[in-house]
Amino acid sequence: MKSEYKAKLINIRSLGETCSILTFLCPEIAGEGKPGQFVNLSCPHFLKRPFGIMCTDKDAGTFCIGVRKVGKGTEEILASKEGDEFTCLGPLGNGFDFTDVKKLLLVGGGTGIFPIYFAADYAQKHGIPTVIANGYRCKCDAFLYDEFSKETSDFYVTTDAGDLGIKGNVMNCLEDLDSSLIEGATVMVVGPGIMMKKVSEWAKAKGLSCFVSLEQRMACGIGACLVCVCKIKAEEEGKEFVHKRCCKDGPVFRAEEVIW
Amino acid sequence: MSISVQVGKVKLKNPIILASGTCGFGRELAEYMDLSKLGALSSKGLTLLPRDGNKGVRVAETPSGMLNCVGLQNPGVDAFLKTELDYMVKSGAGVVVNVAGHSNEDYIAMVEKLDPYKDKIDALELNFSCPNVKEGCMVIGSSPVAIKALVSDLRKRTDLPLWVKLTPNVTSISETAKGAEAGGADAIVAINTMLGMAIDIRTRRPILHNNTGGLSGPCVKPVAIRMVHDIYSAVKIPVVGCGGISTYEDVLEFMIAGASAVELGTISLVHPTRPEEIVDDLEKYVKENNIEELASLTGTLELWR
Repeated sequence: MKSEYKAKLINIRSLGETCSILTFLCPEIAGEGKPGQFVNLSCPHFLKRPFGIMCTDKDAGTFCIGVRKVGKGTEEILASKEGDEFTCLGPLGNGFDFTDVKKLLLVGGGTGIFPIYFAADYAQKHGIPTVIANGYRCKCDAFLYDEFSKETSDFYVTTDAGDLGIKGNVMNCLEDLDSSLIEGATVMVVGPGIMMKKVSEWAKAKGLSCFVSLEQRMACGIGACLVCVCKIKAEEEGKEFVHKRCCKDGPVFRAEEVIW
Repeated sequence: MSISVQVGKVKLKNPIILASGTCGFGRELAEYMDLSKLGALSSKGLTLLPRDGNKGVRVAETPSGMLNCVGLQNPGVDAFLKTELDYMVKSGAGVVVNVAGHSNEDYIAMVEKLDPYKDKIDALELNFSCPNVKEGCMVIGSSPVAIKALVSDLRKRTDLPLWVKLTPNVTSISETAKGAEAGGADAIVAINTMLGMAIDIRTRRPILHNNTGGLSGPCVKPVAIRMVHDIYSAVKIPVVGCGGISTYEDVLEFMIAGASAVELGTISLVHPTRPEEIVDDLEKYVKENNIEELASLTGTLELWR
């Protein structure tokens, strides 16, 4: 039987004024979490808040998440102190499927780079050759730059401001990638909707299989309340779409089944 | 010591019922609790045909609660009978089937489809109160005359207990409850969500893409308690209380106000193990307080004179 677990905040690594990496002691989730899955974390407000898992350490019994301030809930979570107790549901949702993945292209943007880091780390540990392309707004929010650099030598960065890496967005980078690097690769994308849509279209044109991790406002996170649905192409003939639950049926979906 | 209760003809092992729309058909919450420990489970609101529900953002957090505008996304009554009813029966919880129509004809057609399964169903909950669909439901549920007419029609078509779930979005819930009683309802369930709105001050647009939604959670509890008491005072049929229940103390409060049983739901979305914990807490409460029958608390409220 699954449960609501206690999670003690044991480390806060500030990445700037509005973003931190929080590490929690919670052996139940540390032992189970897979890249692409998320946790639903208690919040001083009312509903829990979903965060993609960034890393787990089974031996230490810890997991970590990247939190960026988007509203009052994340603001309060960011104001927490080491030692604070939370409750947590997880790991939740379907993560990325690495079966048959021979080669990987990871694309991250915004807070999507945190779950992308988990996927990169998994790939590195399993010897899967990986190319990573992360899009940032500027050098100032190029979170985890050093960590990503250690995961692969094929790490590319774009910034809107042009003060780090390639100026522009991830599409500017992907279009210039050497075809030998990406041939036969599986693409996994986590980031803003518009980025995931553009990368999906690019992957389709290149004949690469592509997976995206969708984001929606959630309540329960376990598939009961139906508030976080996304539009997915219907298999049934004569029907355009079905509403699937982002939390339970996703958050990872095959790019070609998503209606953007 | 017993925490079993009776809602008209329906005997429940305890007063805890998972509210419609917060537990699907039980499958998801079964991963977090033993459903057989619950009094009953009320299914997701069913419509005659499958429904995709509303588009866009469907949830907005509010102080001590939330707004939702799911809009009755459900597989339809036929698919329910085929794939979900037996699951609910096997769960070991009592089976309440929530029926939501767009018109009187919809309710009639659904009741006729469900009636042959009376051996598997404990009660039909007539949803006259969903605020997130344009027709039926709350439109019918706002008029005591319309409620009475439809309930008496459905009454002729089935022997299954008919529970009428009422909306708080009316001037007098006692009047709509009386309409249901006059039509032959076996129990009143109150309250469904309160119609509300939340606005994004940056975009000056409602957060919910349906513009409005149903408010639920601890913030509605005092309103629900007052309404349960109004209904209990106005009708003779039992009342199932619903609205913001999060603890066993809340359950007792509803029972004292007049509820024979209670429904809870929004709290399961935050703490999915809570309904089972509340059952345990009620067991403990009757033992510690030497209360022979938990049911004896119903309607024991003494008002200040």
